[in-house]
Amino acid sequence: MREPYRLTPPLALRVGIFGAFALLVFGVLFFRLWSLQVLSGTHYLAAAQNNQLRLVRIEAPRGPILDRHGRLMVSNVAGTAVQLSIGDVPQARRARLIRRLAHVLNVSPRALARQVVEFGSDPLSPVTVKTAVREAQIEYLYEHQAQFPGVRIVETYLRDYQYGSLGAQILGYVGEISADELKRLHRDGYVAGDRIGQTGIEGAYDTYLRGHDGLDQLHVDSLGRPVSALQPRQEPRAGFGLRLTIDTRIQRAAELALRYGINLAHADSHWAANGGAIVALDPRDGAVLAMASNPTYKPSLFVGKVDSKKLAPLLNAEAAKRANTPGLNRAIAGAYPPGSTFKPVTALAGMQEHVFSAYDPLQCSPVAYYGLDRQKFTNWDPYVDKPMTLPEALAQSCDTYFDEIGNRFYERGPEGRVRLQQWARKFGFGQTSGLDIGGESSGLLPTPDWRKQHFRSDWDRAWNPGNSIQLAIGQGDLLVTPLQMAVFYSMLANGGNVVTPFLVSDVEQPGNGKRSSDVVLRRFAPKPPQPSGVDPAALQAVRDGLYKATHDPTGTSSAVFGNYRVPISGKTGTAEKIVQLPGYPAGHTEDQSWWCGWGPSDNARLVVCALIENGGHGSAAAAPAALKVFEKFFNVPGPQAVRVNVD
Amino acid sequence: MAVQIQVAERARVGLRRETSAFDSVGFLRRLDWVLLAAAFALIGYGLWVVGGITRFDVPGDPNYYVVRQAVAAVLGLGALVFATIVPYDLALRYWRLVYCTTLGLMLIVFVAAETIRGSKRWINLGVIQFQPSELGKVLFVLALAAFLVERAGRITRWRTIMSAIGLGAVPILLVFLQPDLGTALVYSAALFSLLFFVGVRWRQLLVLFVAATFLALAVLWVLPASGVQVLKPYQAHRFTGFLNRDRDPGGLTWNVNQSITAVGSGGLDGRGVVEASQTRLDYLPEHATDFAFASLGEQRGFVGSAILLLLYLLVVWRGLRVVTVAGDLFGAVVAGGLVFAFLFQIFINAGMTMGVAPVTGIPLPFVAVGGTSIVSNLFLIGVLQGIHARGNLGRLRP
Repeated sequence: MREPYRLTPPLALRVGIFGAFALLVFGVLFFRLWSLQVLSGTHYLAAAQNNQLRLVRIEAPRGPILDRHGRLMVSNVAGTAVQLSIGDVPQARRARLIRRLAHVLNVSPRALARQVVEFGSDPLSPVTVKTAVREAQIEYLYEHQAQFPGVRIVETYLRDYQYGSLGAQILGYVGEISADELKRLHRDGYVAGDRIGQTGIEGAYDTYLRGHDGLDQLHVDSLGRPVSALQPRQEPRAGFGLRLTIDTRIQRAAELALRYGINLAHADSHWAANGGAIVALDPRDGAVLAMASNPTYKPSLFVGKVDSKKLAPLLNAEAAKRANTPGLNRAIAGAYPPGSTFKPVTALAGMQEHVFSAYDPLQCSPVAYYGLDRQKFTNWDPYVDKPMTLPEALAQSCDTYFDEIGNRFYERGPEGRVRLQQWARKFGFGQTSGLDIGGESSGLLPTPDWRKQHFRSDWDRAWNPGNSIQLAIGQGDLLVTPLQMAVFYSMLANGGNVVTPFLVSDVEQPGNGKRSSDVVLRRFAPKPPQPSGVDPAALQAVRDGLYKATHDPTGTSSAVFGNYRVPISGKTGTAEKIVQLPGYPAGHTEDQSWWCGWGPSDNARLVVCALIENGGHGSAAAAPAALKVFEKFFNVPGPQAVRVNVD
Repeated sequence: MAVQIQVAERARVGLRRETSAFDSVGFLRRLDWVLLAAAFALIGYGLWVVGGITRFDVPGDPNYYVVRQAVAAVLGLGALVFATIVPYDLALRYWRLVYCTTLGLMLIVFVAAETIRGSKRWINLGVIQFQPSELGKVLFVLALAAFLVERAGRITRWRTIMSAIGLGAVPILLVFLQPDLGTALVYSAALFSLLFFVGVRWRQLLVLFVAATFLALAVLWVLPASGVQVLKPYQAHRFTGFLNRDRDPGGLTWNVNQSITAVGSGGLDGRGVVEASQTRLDYLPEHATDFAFASLGEQRGFVGSAILLLLYLLVVWRGLRVVTVAGDLFGAVVAGGLVFAFLFQIFINAGMTMGVAPVTGIPLPFVAVGGTSIVSNLFLIGVLQGIHARGNLGRLRP
């Protein structure tokens, strides 16, 4: 009979070992369970609770921008934005989600992906995929919510420009903060997805305009879908309002005047006239009443449904060139040779330095020769050949008269050759004027030192008589901005004080509704006008000359202003500038049409400086354009049908 | 001498009487009631846990999964009774049939199963989904144990060992190809434990262990480095992710981190069903199946999880006791293999939710939602009961 089976000792040993192993396994599980749940339970509990909490940024409405009379220039309208919190989306689904979302919203998937990579890491600030979304797209996203985890549709504020393109370059635009800006500004509380003013007022006064975002919290599930209502944690505070010195009426007049000036230039067969700028200042304190630049654009292009094709001229250098840089504020950033409008500077400096005397006549000859090489300089009017006093020379804009003054500066030796520039600097040339929105060009005030540093060859490095003479009539290397010119003419108009132009007069807390009025929070006091140290007698001689220029029958712009009922003083300028135009050889020059002046002549309330690029003679394009601004300002219409005097 | 003969004779006659006419009362008395009680406790506890875990999964029907799970449990009780009553040594005689059935189950999957989450594991039987690899687990142990016990005399020969491994490798590979890495690992562990209990020498076991380690290294490291991908990328990532958890919290190891957070947030006594946000808000993936343990930990805390683990420990202990009381070597080896498979499954599943084991899709016995799992686990208990009832109980009774 077979021995019945029994548990053998070796098997018993193995069962024992297995039992010990089983105990070990359970020991590990128990130990781990204890360590997770009991020892670190609170930590994980907090982690689990954080998991489901989302802080949602509540956008603060951006402050409004008002003109000097309280007219709303920029405000907000409600809009819808689609945001994406990529952190809520499992890694594996992200690429597909981005593709689908980009498809639904009609944005470039690649751009969206880049945006997500750049800003996606911060769970607090979702990426704004698109603002101003169409109703149908919103409905689609709502209906297919389950397919779009992490996507949220929020109310947002869109910038609303009441006057279209009016003041575009002054106002600037608002755009989403870039990665570079974020790196620079994150300490100041800017976060990814913020919109930030990029240029102009929006850029310079962003801290006042942006307000403080609020915070809401809500519970979400693992796919970022909200499972509770929003609970407010911190109320948003709206941005402050800004009141500008701009008068929308004058601004519009100035912009229309620019177009009018350009059209006049075209009518005068200056076909290359394609842009310009007009600055209107209050000569008493420097408040900018209008600042127009042409060509222009609509700031609303940056709002909501951004059309990249239309935006290209503003953002892309190549496209900007083709469209003649509409984003450029030519009034402050465009630098041009001033031509004859600079002659009052030469006159003042010459009298201060006793180079000449206002009422000792100098010959205004058709031709003059200066320098060792007998360089030839001509007057624009070859039929004038007579001695002139300063007012006469200014009125008729005699070139050879000022050539002589320039040459006299040169002959004063190295000391004298910088005197004119020193006075010009006192009047604000060669430096930025300190306008509060920045972005200014300082122009160029050539000196013998500058030539030495700037050029290589000995010929170019030398400061020759020609350089002083060219400078005296506002040609050569000299470059000024229309704003600098306006500041200088303000000085002439107000009796010798240099103003600092400004655009923002105060910061206001917008009143709620019609009852409560706006509360001024901070007033930006204009910098008091600085005395330039000009001799009043010398100034009076120049002012006489500029009055003659607009009223004497021989005056360069008397055809435009002579019959205007408000007495206007001012000077034309026709500056040769080397321009690159398609179809013309390199070195081709076009006349920049200038007119700068003020009115009323004895009690100036408005300075206008107009520039029409490639517009021909100053009296032909710029002066009639400037008159349009005066007409609006004084509410006095000019004589009908201005006779264009091509002198 | 005479007394001895008398006793032996009585035992022989008694034995014959028992086999000739089924003594139901005596048979019931020979069951391991502690094991049975543990199984029932696990069913009850498991249903309660599932009720909590899945309360918000089907909107409007909080008991959707509980009801299905209960139905499966009733089916499973049938399987238990069947496995208890049918003599397990039939499997010894007809092991080839059992083995072929196992293979057949594995192969059906490839033909009939639809792909769910990238894997062909489930066969749709209308109301329930049938997962053959779960049921195959018990059959696999029975067949392989029978093969080994048949050759018990030559068990220390490498030839026997290698043919057993070769025999086992076929279903293991089939499961692996479904792909179901976790269950393939369970099968492999069971095969190893069969060799362990059947009496393969220690030295040989060591060699096998080292070989298995090298194989694992090769699959995870050497072969991918040389351009041969054995595992699918996500499987390999789960293994490496388990070792290097903080690498990518948003992506590959997201599941594990959420799971650990869930377990940890449970604390001592749990957050309750309503408050358990990880489960309720779906931060925990597959919380009704693969990550059921984490969900349990979150809702019921250390106390609730410990109760489950203790019930498992009870089953393992009683299972090991079955090994010792088994009436023959086959019974002992089968019991040993089943207990080890059970233990391995618990460790991998509970361990993965706590970050101490790699993430693989193995259901948690008696708790994870899934009809096949509960049926096959009750079937497993039934087989243990059958071995116990036919074992040498007399000598062990006080």
